[in-house]
Amino acid sequence: MKCVNWGLLRLSELVTLTVNGNKYTAEKGQYILQVARAHGIKIPSLCNLDAVEPYGACRLCIVEITRGTRKRIVTSCLFPVEEGLVVETDSPRVVGNRKMLLDLLLARCSENKVIKQLAAEYGIEKSSFEKEYWTKENCIVCGLCARVCEQVVGVSAISLVNRGITKGPASPYLESAKACIGCGSCYYACPTGAIKMEDKKGYRYIYNWKIKYRLQKCKVCGIEWAPEKQLEYIRKKWDLPKGFFDVCPNCR
Amino acid sequence: METLAIYAPKLVTASDYIASGHRACSGCGEVLAVRYVCKALGRNTIISNATGCMEIVSTPLPETAWEVPWIHTLFENASAVASGIESGLKALKRKHGYTKEVKVVAMGGDGGTADIGLQSLSGALERGHDFIYVCFDNEAYMNTGIQRSSETPFGASTTTAPAGKLSMGQHTQKKNMPAIAAAHNIRYVATSCSSYPFDIMNKIEKAKQIKGPSYIHILSVCPTGWRSASNLTITMGRLAVETGIFPMYEIEDGKYTLNFDYPKLRPVEDYLKLQGRFRHLTKENTAEIQEHVLTEFNRIRMLAGKKIK
Repeated sequence: MKCVNWGLLRLSELVTLTVNGNKYTAEKGQYILQVARAHGIKIPSLCNLDAVEPYGACRLCIVEITRGTRKRIVTSCLFPVEEGLVVETDSPRVVGNRKMLLDLLLARCSENKVIKQLAAEYGIEKSSFEKEYWTKENCIVCGLCARVCEQVVGVSAISLVNRGITKGPASPYLESAKACIGCGSCYYACPTGAIKMEDKKGYRYIYNWKIKYRLQKCKVCGIEWAPEKQLEYIRKKWDLPKGFFDVCPNCR
Repeated sequence: METLAIYAPKLVTASDYIASGHRACSGCGEVLAVRYVCKALGRNTIISNATGCMEIVSTPLPETAWEVPWIHTLFENASAVASGIESGLKALKRKHGYTKEVKVVAMGGDGGTADIGLQSLSGALERGHDFIYVCFDNEAYMNTGIQRSSETPFGASTTTAPAGKLSMGQHTQKKNMPAIAAAHNIRYVATSCSSYPFDIMNKIEKAKQIKGPSYIHILSVCPTGWRSASNLTITMGRLAVETGIFPMYEIEDGKYTLNFDYPKLRPVEDYLKLQGRFRHLTKENTAEIQEHVLTEFNRIRMLAGKKIK
């Protein structure tokens, strides 16, 4: 058995579920959101990213499922598919709940472009809460930055701190994050643009974690191409010789 | 975005809408670009694809590499078919309560865009259909055997513009397709390159948000036609940008933005010497190319409101 077709040897079972009245086949273990997205059904979400485990923080991906005679609202990013599941992605109850969530988010992030646009899609121009409760926050505490840092980069330089209304992502003791390698994954992953990163005059700044790292200059072309600390981290991890990253990938 | 090396690329969506197992040459930059474009477009897309490399390599008769609805059209009518699909969707929405948001995309090579398909593209842009036109520019008709097109750069040797005693290959400059598209006063025009995945994906995302036509011109490295080593695809694309031969810019509502500007552009020799199609060029030819590149780059810099160096 040298040439194995793993596609055919797939051990997982297949299940059939109904989404918005149409029947779809999916693998056991997949989540509703995955299946729906794969078939082009639109479900809004902010805190979901393929590269990390689902977390269910933003709640925007809620759908209504029917099992037997009971109906329930669940987050589709966290709910595994099962045989005979009936899913409604845009039932009046789901849309009503989603509108409430967006209303709350809009009160918190009253000036955020992404939230505003999402809310506008559901016909909310202005939060219905009183203006004194509005804030100009950008972060929605979905924890994607911390999850990416832990699961993809593997350094866990940041985490969610505090409880209740003060909860939020932060560097340890709110000081400069020592373990941070300045890779910018958190900046890329953030769905609402709450993380401020900048490359300026030979340094990389991530203002949220209070870091300032020098960028490595290519010895040949002089282009600043990555933070020194990140390259040092990779060099140590893969046991590469010193000076391996002196030259940028284009000039190598 | 391109400085976010190594970790951030792992966060890009894992779903691909062009399957592996297509028949592209090794080191094909075009199929890479198509992959990034499809990643950014997502599932709700209908593609109308002009004849060209992409159609040849992705759909040998009983098979297909596409995982989105895809229509093969002739060279000259990719944008006409795309406008038809878009109008059809509009009618479906009006008459039958169809609700899905579907983006229509027309794709073509440089021949299907700048030469044969120009009139239908111009018509579709002028009529203001809600679609994206993506041109994959590999600088000649590659699938039929490297014949010159109007996008072939000055000095390149092709089978119909061969270099020899009496000729130095292509003797005209590359046609400025983005400027032609921008002249239709459309809201979004951009240029990109197959070696800059984030850049392609960002620009497609932007084009997706726009209601109305948008045009994206992607330089796709072609090792077969450019007579370069297939392991240098990414390097070639980056060199094209770093030497200033292919400036990457966007035109949003008539406003130019230069995406990649360097304190000092590399000399064009770096790019030319790696390619067999420029092998015959003399020092004078190279100097001529260098001069033209600098003038063009400074023109874009000026339009983008930057200081001319």
